[in-house]
Amino acid sequence: MSGAYKKVNRGVTLTLWERLYFPEVIRGVLIAAGHFVPNFVSVTKAYFGGKPSDRKIMTIYYPEEKPVLPEAYRGKPVLVRARDGRGKCVACGLCEVACPPKCISIVGGQREDGTRYPVTYVLNGAVCIFCGFCEEACPEEAIVMSDRYEGLCEYDRKPMVYDKEALLVPEEKLTRRLDYIRRRMYGKWNY
Amino acid sequence: MSELRMDLHTEPMILSMGPSHPATHGTVRFLLKLDGEKILNCDTEIGYLHRAFEKHCENGTWTQAFPYTDRLNYNSAVQNNVAYALAAEELLGVAGKMPERAVYVRTIMCELARLADHYTNLGAATLELGALTAFLYFVEARELVWDLIESVCGARLTSNYVRIGGLASDLPEGFADHVKRVFATNREHWRQFDKLLTKNRIFMDRMRDTGAISAEDAIALGFTGPCLRAAGVEYDVRKANPYLVYDRVDFDVPVGTTGDNFDKYLVRMEEINQSLRIVEQLLGKLPKGPININDASVRNPAKEDVKNQIQSMIHHFKNTIEGITVPAGEVYVPTEGSNGEVGFYLVSVGGGKPWKCRVRPPSFALTQGVGEMVKGAFLADIIPTFDMINLIGGECDR
Ligand code: SF4
Ligand code: SF4
Repeated sequence: MSGAYKKVNRGVTLTLWERLYFPEVIRGVLIAAGHFVPNFVSVTKAYFGGKPSDRKIMTIYYPEEKPVLPEAYRGKPVLVRARDGRGKCVACGLCEVACPPKCISIVGGQREDGTRYPVTYVLNGAVCIFCGFCEEACPEEAIVMSDRYEGLCEYDRKPMVYDKEALLVPEEKLTRRLDYIRRRMYGKWNY
Repeated sequence: MSELRMDLHTEPMILSMGPSHPATHGTVRFLLKLDGEKILNCDTEIGYLHRAFEKHCENGTWTQAFPYTDRLNYNSAVQNNVAYALAAEELLGVAGKMPERAVYVRTIMCELARLADHYTNLGAATLELGALTAFLYFVEARELVWDLIESVCGARLTSNYVRIGGLASDLPEGFADHVKRVFATNREHWRQFDKLLTKNRIFMDRMRDTGAISAEDAIALGFTGPCLRAAGVEYDVRKANPYLVYDRVDFDVPVGTTGDNFDKYLVRMEEINQSLRIVEQLLGKLPKGPININDASVRNPAKEDVKNQIQSMIHHFKNTIEGITVPAGEVYVPTEGSNGEVGFYLVSVGGGKPWKCRVRPPSFALTQGVGEMVKGAFLADIIPTFDMINLIGGECDR
């Protein structure tokens, strides 16, 4: 369609008023004040008895306030514990091969009733790059990216290696993400 | 004074600037030969951020390269995703069969990434020239754009959004309204940034007529993107060789005259406006429909199908374990990144892994021009010149 190459105007010239310099300094300060004064007023208002939403600034007071994360957010990968108390994972090993930095290792086994389950499931959180490929690969929706972003860094690498117990999260707590991946990511209508 | 100078025995000073100088973001080292404050020679040393990107890609499947492409130019990660996906799709022969919506969404995300990149670059450049206030306005604008990107991709920087044959996820509900709100704020920030700097005498003195490069030199050094256009060369991959849906939108491409830092600044400022225009146009035309190609051998099938159809399940397992089977051949697809031409040269010998994955990063060619551009200038001119190059270590050193 239309649209062309257009020269930019590099010959910006200053008028006499602008060359006087000091009026320009004042103009610049006024622009900054246009940000400062409303911010200052809103923060003061919120501090003295107002609501936090009165604060019309970009930043939030973390950790007292938490950011609202979008549904798409990819935090710590977690295993889904189904409502009957068992993990959903069937130890197929797809997430293990899909993971680009190879941070998952699984040893599969069989329960008495013949269903497969992971005897050990180790996810090395220090190596994980939060890409979400494990979630995409899993045919059972057994591993999903939660919205957990806190407590993932430690002073030592040992506690960052998560075993099955550290990864299992009840399904009720993951409904938002499970709904999102069915609706926006791997649902049939997206193909 | 001049007599005194003749009597004194002076020698040029060798100064090593970087690799961790505050202004050499991205870890690069300048070996300077100085006569007083004048630069006689400047050798640029790169490679401090080498991570063996290409080798990594060759060791994983075709899909597993996506998270690594994020980490090339981390300011505009989606553009790298798109560039890689386009090259791989060309090789697979599915390039023309992509669903409309996927192509539109890819274009929108590319332009949002360009916005984030230009905001960061211009903001950081002014910061290093001492204008902290203007920096904060553009960082706020960039944060808002990154919020948009996060709501689509799930991460601000490491987007990992595009897949061969489709996208990881569809746009969230209410995306168009979110974009409208963000763009209103960002236009205001742009106006204030422009008011604070474009006619600012100190800023003009630092930027105008420093770091200039002629069109011939720029072409000879392999410049692309805003830096090439600032030198007056009318070349933009989006216009010269349209990909995605750039031939269906109406946008201008700003070009400069002398290739100095002021031209580069003005070109980038105008590109921000044009990107806003493109995104708005595309959101108005966004078609409904699927975002992934309906071909289970290319794009992993839907989870429902994996559970219910044996054919889909086989493809899903095969794609994940062995990788997508890409026929033998080689391909290079150029795209316009925010810094210049980003292209992937892929070689396949058949099978699930790239045999060779070479990226053409714009920063690499631009960085080799720094020495040329600062020769004869003052030491302080390195800062704006280097800023306007926008070296991204992750991309230059790979
Ligand atoms: S998010 Fe990515 S890196 Fe982390 S465990 Fe899953 S596949 Fe591996
Ligand atoms: S892909 Fe899913 S079911 Fe298979 S091993 Fe991984 S978590 Fe378990």
